Amino acid sequence: MIEFFINGNPVKAQKGETILHVARREGYYIPTMCYLEKTAPIASCRLCVVDIKGVDGQILSCQTPPTAGIEVFTDSPNLRANRENIMRLYDVNHPLECGVCDKSGECELQNKSLEFGIASQSFSVREPSRSIQKWGLIQYDPSLCIVCERCTHVCNEVIGDDAIEILFGGYGSTVIPKNSDTLDCTFCGECIAVCPVGALISSEFKYRANAWELESIPSTCVHCSAGCALEYEVKTSNAGKSIYRVKNNFEYTTLCGAGRFGFDFATKNVHSQSALFDQAVEALQKSDAVRFGSMITNEEALLLQRLHEKTGKKLLNADAYAFKQFLANYAVTAPTALYEGTLAEVAQSDQIILVGSRIATDNPQVRYAMTMASKRNKAKISYMHSIEDALMQSIVTQFVKYEVGTEAGVMALLAKTFIDTSSDKALKAHIDSLDEGYLSAESNVGDDELAYIAKVKQRAKKTTLILGEDCYTHANANLIAQWAGLIARTTNIRVLMVPKEVNTLGVALICDVVDEQSAKAQSVFGYNAHGDYHIGVSAQDALAMPALNQQEGTITSIDKKVLTLNVALPHEGYELLDVLRSVSDERFAHTIELTPLLPQSSGYVAVAFDDLFNVIDAQGRDTRGYDLRNAPATQHALPALVEQLPEYNGTIIYHANPVLQFNALTAGIAALSTEAVLVGSAQFATAAKIGDGEKIVIETSQGRYERRFVLDESLKGTVALHPTFDLSSDALPQGYRFAKAKISKR
Amino acid sequence: MHIEPFENRNVSNSVYVPVDIKPYPKTGWESFKQVVARSLKGELFVGLWTVLREFIKMDWPAIEYPLEKMPMNARYRAVHKLLRLWESGYERCIGCGLCEKICIADCIRMDTRIDANSRKEVTEYSINFGRCIFCGYCAEVCPELAIVHGDRYENVSEQRAHFSLKNDMLTPMDVLKNRAQVEFEGFGALIPGSSNDVKKTPLAY
Repeated sequence: MIEFFINGNPVKAQKGETILHVARREGYYIPTMCYLEKTAPIASCRLCVVDIKGVDGQILSCQTPPTAGIEVFTDSPNLRANRENIMRLYDVNHPLECGVCDKSGECELQNKSLEFGIASQSFSVREPSRSIQKWGLIQYDPSLCIVCERCTHVCNEVIGDDAIEILFGGYGSTVIPKNSDTLDCTFCGECIAVCPVGALISSEFKYRANAWELESIPSTCVHCSAGCALEYEVKTSNAGKSIYRVKNNFEYTTLCGAGRFGFDFATKNVHSQSALFDQAVEALQKSDAVRFGSMITNEEALLLQRLHEKTGKKLLNADAYAFKQFLANYAVTAPTALYEGTLAEVAQSDQIILVGSRIATDNPQVRYAMTMASKRNKAKISYMHSIEDALMQSIVTQFVKYEVGTEAGVMALLAKTFIDTSSDKALKAHIDSLDEGYLSAESNVGDDELAYIAKVKQRAKKTTLILGEDCYTHANANLIAQWAGLIARTTNIRVLMVPKEVNTLGVALICDVVDEQSAKAQSVFGYNAHGDYHIGVSAQDALAMPALNQQEGTITSIDKKVLTLNVALPHEGYELLDVLRSVSDERFAHTIELTPLLPQSSGYVAVAFDDLFNVIDAQGRDTRGYDLRNAPATQHALPALVEQLPEYNGTIIYHANPVLQFNALTAGIAALSTEAVLVGSAQFATAAKIGDGEKIVIETSQGRYERRFVLDESLKGTVALHPTFDLSSDALPQGYRFAKAKISKR
Repeated sequence: MHIEPFENRNVSNSVYVPVDIKPYPKTGWESFKQVVARSLKGELFVGLWTVLREFIKMDWPAIEYPLEKMPMNARYRAVHKLLRLWESGYERCIGCGLCEKICIADCIRMDTRIDANSRKEVTEYSINFGRCIFCGYCAEVCPELAIVHGDRYENVSEQRAHFSLKNDMLTPMDVLKNRAQVEFEGFGALIPGSSNDVKKTPLAY
C-alpha cells in the first residue's frame, strides 16, 4: 500500500495497481480508447497520458504503477491538446457513415470526438482502397478500423484462438486473419464486443437496428454450466418482440460464440393449448416417473422434487444423477461437501491440471480462464486426456495422454504425486498400497510426466485441478471422486468440476434423482426429455414450455453461484407450474416464489428472487446472485483403492461436440448451424478403412448413427470425435463418453 | 408556396398599423358620456352597413372550408412525408434512426435490414399521430431531408392512436415521375446559400 497524489489529492494504491486503476477507483477521469481491463495494457492509443511532477515527458497511466509520493495530474492544456490531436488522427478519413453504421450511438470514437469537440480536421492522408472482409459470423470493415488492437489482444490473451493479427503498415494497418486467408477460429465474437468502432461487427445483426432502439435485459447464458453474464437486447417490431443480439460487459466478462450468436431459441407460436394441457396433466398423473433434462431452473427442479415428495413419482436425470453420485463420493474424502474451485481461481492459478474433458468445446469459459492464467501468470498447464486438442495447443505446456478408460488410475497417480505423506502413516500406508506399476502401465502415464507435474507444483503458488465430464460419467467415477477429494483435503490444490449442462449442479443438489435401472418406471413423463408423454421446448414435445430466456428463475453455475435468469421474450403458453398446480396441488402464483425455498441443506440461501442482483459494475465488482454455502464435509474416509482399470480396444469414438454446439438447443439455432460429422485423424481413417467425406454408419452399444466422415489433419491418435448435439433426448448416448464402435460404409 | 417573404427577417422595416384606442374615461361624467354616445350613436348600424356593403360587392373574406383551404406556410408542421431522391427514385431514408431517437413523444418506429445490395433498407416506418406533437425535431434532425412535414393538417380519425405507415407517407413513384414531389423548404431544410458556409476538409488528394 503506497500513497501518492492525483490532482493534488492523496490516494492509496495497492500492489499491482496502475495509476489508471487507482484513478478510476477514486473517481478521477482519464480518457482511454484501447484500454481493456481483462487484457494486459495495450498502450496503443496514448489517450491515457498523464503529467507527473518532476518527470519529463508524459506517462502512460494504463501501464505505469505509481511510486510513493508522486504527484499525478490528469488534465492540463498540454495534455488536452495532445489528446485532441490523437482524436483528430483517429478521425482522419473515418467514413462519415454514422447514419448506417451499427455502432452509431454506442461508438467510442463518436463519443470521444464529441467529448474533445473535434469539429475540424487539420490532417489528411491518401485513403488506400480497402474492402469489407466477410468472415462468416464476423464482418470486418478496414476503413472504419482505428487499429486500437483490442481485438487481437483479446483473441490472444483471453480466448486463446490467436486467430487475428495486425498487419502493420502505418496508416494502412489492418486486422488480418493469422496464417490463413479467411478467419478460422472458434467464432466467440469477443472481437466484435471489444471493437470500439463499427469495424468488427456481427453479420447477423448488421443493419437490423440502431443501438438505442434496443431494450437491454440482463440475464445469464444457458448453453453450458459457466453461467456467463449477458444482456439480451430486444426490440418490438411488427413481427412481435424478438432478441436482436446479445451483449456482454466486455471489460470484465467474456462470452463464447454460442452465447453471443445463439440466442434464437425461444419457444414461438404457442396458441390455444388448453386441450393439450389437460392431456399433459392426465399423463403426468398416470405416470410413475418424470424424466427431465438439466436445462431447467432451480425453481422448476424444486417443483419436481416437491412432486416426488408428495406423490412418490421417481425423478430420472442421467446427467445429474452421475454428477450427484460424483459429488457424494467426493465429499467422502474431501474437506467440503462441494468442490472449492471457481473460474476466477483458475484464471489466477499458475498451475492447472485438467483431467477428462475436451474443455475448449465442453466449456469454453474454463478454456478462457486457462488462457488468461497462461498469458497472465505464465501458468503451467497439464492437459491430461486421451485426445489432444489443437485449440488448446497454444497454452498447454504438457499434454499427458492416458489410455481411454483409465481416469481412476490417473487420479490415483496424481494423488500419489501431490500428497505429502510424511506426517500421516495411515495415509502413507494406504497410498503406498496402490499398485503404481500397474496403474502407470495401464494408463500410460509415465514417471517423468508426473515428476514434471510435481516439480511445477513445488514452485506454484496456486494449483487448480479441473475434472471434466469423463470423470463423473466413468464406471469408476466413485474412485475418481474419492481420490480427487483426498487431493483437495491433503494439499492446497483447489478442485473445480465441470458440470455438463447449464444446471446439472443445481438439479444434483436439489432433486433426489435416481438412475434408470433402479427406477423400473412403467410410464415416464418427459420434461425436456423423452418419455411416454413429453412436454418441453422442442418442436416434438406435445405441450410447449417456455425456453430458459422466457422465464424467471435461477440456475446454479460451475462457480457454485446462484444466478438469475430474466424474461427476455414473452411466453404465451403454459409452464411447468401450471401443470403441477393441477397434479400436485401447488399453490404458488409464480415459479420464482420457490427461490427462497431452495434447500438450505445443500447450501442455498433463503433469499427472494427479486432481492438478487445481476450486475457487474463499472469497477468490475460482481454482485450477481449469491454463492452457495459450502459446508464442511462430515466424513473423512480414505478412498477405495484403484485395482482394476478397464481396457478399451478396437475402434473407439469420443462423444464430443464441435465449437459453438452443446446440445439439441444449440443445434436448433440457425445462426450456429453446423453439420454433425464424425471427425477423425488420418490414422483413424486408415484403421477404420474409411476416407474423407464418406458416408458411414456408426454402431455402438447405445445406438446407431448415420454420419459423414471428415478427416482432420490437426487430430492425432486413433480416437474419432463423434458429435451428439443434434441427437434428440432418446437417442442421446448416456454415460462414459468413449465408446467402442463398429464403423461401416453406407 | 414561396418563402421569399419569410426570408426577410428584418422586421423593423415592416409596416405596422397602430390600433386606434381612445383614452379610457376618468371621471363619472366622462363614463356617462361614453354610455350615451355608444347607445345613441347607432354603431350597430355601422357594422351592419359594412356587412351589407361587402355582401353586395361579393368579395367575401371567409374561406369556404372544406371547399377551400388556406395555403400553408412552408414552415407549417403537419402530417409527415417521406421523400425520394429525384434522380434515382430511391428512398432518401437511410434508416439512421435519428428521428426515432430525437422524437420526444416517442412515436416513431422503424425496422431495418440488410438488403440484397448490402445496403441498409428501411422495411417499416410508422408514426403514431395520436402521440405526435408535431414539434418538427424529426424533420430537423434528418440528415437526408427524407422525413419532412407536409401540409396536410386534417387529423380526423376513428381512433385516438391513428398512425401513418411507410407507404402512406412515401412519395408514390408515379408522383415522382411526374416531377410532382414537392421539395421541402420548411423546418429543418437547408437555409438558402448555406452551401457557401461549408468549410472544406483540407484533403490534399
